[in-house]
Amino acid sequence: MSESTLFVITFILYILSAFYYLGFLFSKKPNSAKTGSALAVAGLIIHTAALIVRTVESGHAPFTNMYESLSFLSWASVLAFVIIDRKFKIPKIGPYIMLIVIGLVALASSPLMPKEATPLVPALQSYWLWLHVSVTLLGEAFFAVAFITSIMYLAAREADKKEKWDSVSYRCVAVGFPLFTLGGLVFGMVWAYKAWGTYWSWDPKEVWSLITWIVFALYLHTRIVMGWKGKRSAVIAIIGFLAALFTYFGVNYLLAGLHSYA
Amino acid sequence: MKVLIKIFKVLIKFFTSIRLAIILLIILAVASVLGTLIPQQRGLEEYAARYGQLSGLLIRLQLTRLYHSIWYLAILGLFALNIVVCTLTRLSPKWRKAVKPHVQVEAKSLLALKIKDRYKNNAPLSAVKAELEKSLAASRYRLRSAGQDSKVHLLARKKILGIFGSDVVHLGLLIILAGGIVSGLTSIRKELALKEGETLSVPKASFELRLDKFTTEYYPDGSVKAWKSAVTVIENANPVLAKTIVVNKPLTFRGYSFYQASYGWNWDNPAVEIWSKKKNDPSFLKKLKLKVGEQVPLDDKEQTSISVARFIPDFVLGEGNEPQTRSLQPNNPAAFVEGFRGGEKIFSGWIFANFPDMDRIHAAQETDLSFELKGYEAGQYSVLEAAKDPGANLIWIGCILTMLGLALAFYWPHWEIKAVLEESQGKTEVVAGGIAAKNRDSFQAEFEKIMTSARRTP
Ligand code: HEM
Repeated sequence: MSESTLFVITFILYILSAFYYLGFLFSKKPNSAKTGSALAVAGLIIHTAALIVRTVESGHAPFTNMYESLSFLSWASVLAFVIIDRKFKIPKIGPYIMLIVIGLVALASSPLMPKEATPLVPALQSYWLWLHVSVTLLGEAFFAVAFITSIMYLAAREADKKEKWDSVSYRCVAVGFPLFTLGGLVFGMVWAYKAWGTYWSWDPKEVWSLITWIVFALYLHTRIVMGWKGKRSAVIAIIGFLAALFTYFGVNYLLAGLHSYA
Repeated sequence: MKVLIKIFKVLIKFFTSIRLAIILLIILAVASVLGTLIPQQRGLEEYAARYGQLSGLLIRLQLTRLYHSIWYLAILGLFALNIVVCTLTRLSPKWRKAVKPHVQVEAKSLLALKIKDRYKNNAPLSAVKAELEKSLAASRYRLRSAGQDSKVHLLARKKILGIFGSDVVHLGLLIILAGGIVSGLTSIRKELALKEGETLSVPKASFELRLDKFTTEYYPDGSVKAWKSAVTVIENANPVLAKTIVVNKPLTFRGYSFYQASYGWNWDNPAVEIWSKKKNDPSFLKKLKLKVGEQVPLDDKEQTSISVARFIPDFVLGEGNEPQTRSLQPNNPAAFVEGFRGGEKIFSGWIFANFPDMDRIHAAQETDLSFELKGYEAGQYSVLEAAKDPGANLIWIGCILTMLGLALAFYWPHWEIKAVLEESQGKTEVVAGGIAAKNRDSFQAEFEKIMTSARRTP
């Protein structure tokens, strides 16, 4: 099957998943959430196939333009959600995650995004591209889940629910932070060194990754050392995700730099 | 002396504070945002045009080279000092805890813990202790015990390295900062623009680099697929190493790396292809290939000969309508053609490769010749960047330590179970408590499992 067909099937499955999750939100029927989760997993599997087909057909990593990168980011977000949901049983964030994912997939499918796989410019011909982008986006996907659980924290009323959202947010950051450090900063530096001979050039995208990283370092330290929990932690996690979002979108469209091709 | 010690103590206290770290991190984040909003390291005119009156102030505050400004570096320095002091002052109690732990705790303090248990068995202490130790060991706890016959204290721990995770991260970050300083002070970086066959000496090194061949490969759609520079390293006039440098595949030799940085055109002596037509004679077509400055006969009835006096790769009209090139890229190639008959110049003018219909030939005599610039050939040169960065290895060591520390801090949680066993009248009472800084849920499950299995009377 072609990549675009698989991508459309993925899109439909994600929409159905969001539909059932929304049903769960209003009806509170656990079966509705179960169906939503099964559809999300089915979508994830077809999406994985779509990414593989794309990689085989283009002969390079599936994140060299905005369409590919959005598709991969939505894939990573569903994956992060499925993992966190398995472990902590939080179907309540299902509808929000799936709506965001649908938004990303819709943006990827919109006519604004050129879809053809273009040949790779020389700077991107490196297996560090794989490592750098995939690990970074996976880390950002966990930040996205932390973002939603932090909002859930702020919205929740009962103390035990608040505590659960707080602890799930922390666990998402505990996964996302090492991944983001490895992919965004370490692999990024190694690749820059391989390609340009400098591991750091203060390019806006690098600086914004650093800012995102600093915000999450603040999250960890205020929490571990100063005992901040709950509301203040949630606010920092939200700011951190917004910084990650700006690193991903804002820098490409609003600031110019070395990374402008990705 | 006393005053000095006092100052020293206050300073230490200042730098131990995690509040300082948080303030510094916030300043670094905000300053870094500023640096992405103000374009960095541009020319004075650009700042003047963009910010007007304000530009002087921005430059004086070093906001236009923010990441290299004295104050940004000073904050990084304070930050490093903060990490050193903070980590060191916490290290020695941690170390003591790891190697000389306090085993004798009282049952009362264990009962104050969140994760705890107590049970009584109708068996002598030694049997109950053996059973508890067996189930602790089955979950891979390391044991220490202290006490007498009728009262024993037990300390069971696992993954003690986990408590040093944050220290390893901080050490890694310090090494990365040190690497940055070393790079800033000692790195060498120079662009070597090499024509084919040319040899250049490498700065501050005892060897030279020769470019043997430079090729550009294209995809079918015309975009660049690869730049390849075949080079030879020459030491004491002997070739010692030959390699092809591609983007992402640098050559490394004696601590230097050579990167494919860019390429350029060598417009010194280009060859030009010109087609000549006659407006009144559609069958007339002459294709000429000539070097700039060379004069060739056109082979027509009138015995015209043609020369190209100038070639400009990226034609623009400068001040005073003077033709000049905007860049060294062939974006708008133009040739100045001259025509001669019997030693007399009869016409001249610019023709453009991109605009074949726009010839600006000015003729002294009537001519119906027209010209098109069909092609040009110039040598290309390859720009290789020679870089030597002794700081880079520190960076990689720092990165490895940082990642290792993160793995320890988040995924190697230190868990600790303490117990007091007390025997009286043939019965033994056990009070146990568990401490976990991380993953409390899984720890609680494990604690309960251990206690259930230890409870069974032997
Ligand atoms: C951006 C820079 C920094 C990063 C990425 C970083 C990273 C970390 C990490 C990952 C932890 C472990 C957190 C956990 O166990 O959940 C930690 C703990 C800690 N950090 Fe940092 N750190 C940074 C800067 C600092 C600075 C400047 C200080 C100095 C005041 C500091 C003081 C501490 C302390 C006191 C702890 C608790 C440590 C313990 O005893 O386990 N950190 N840091």
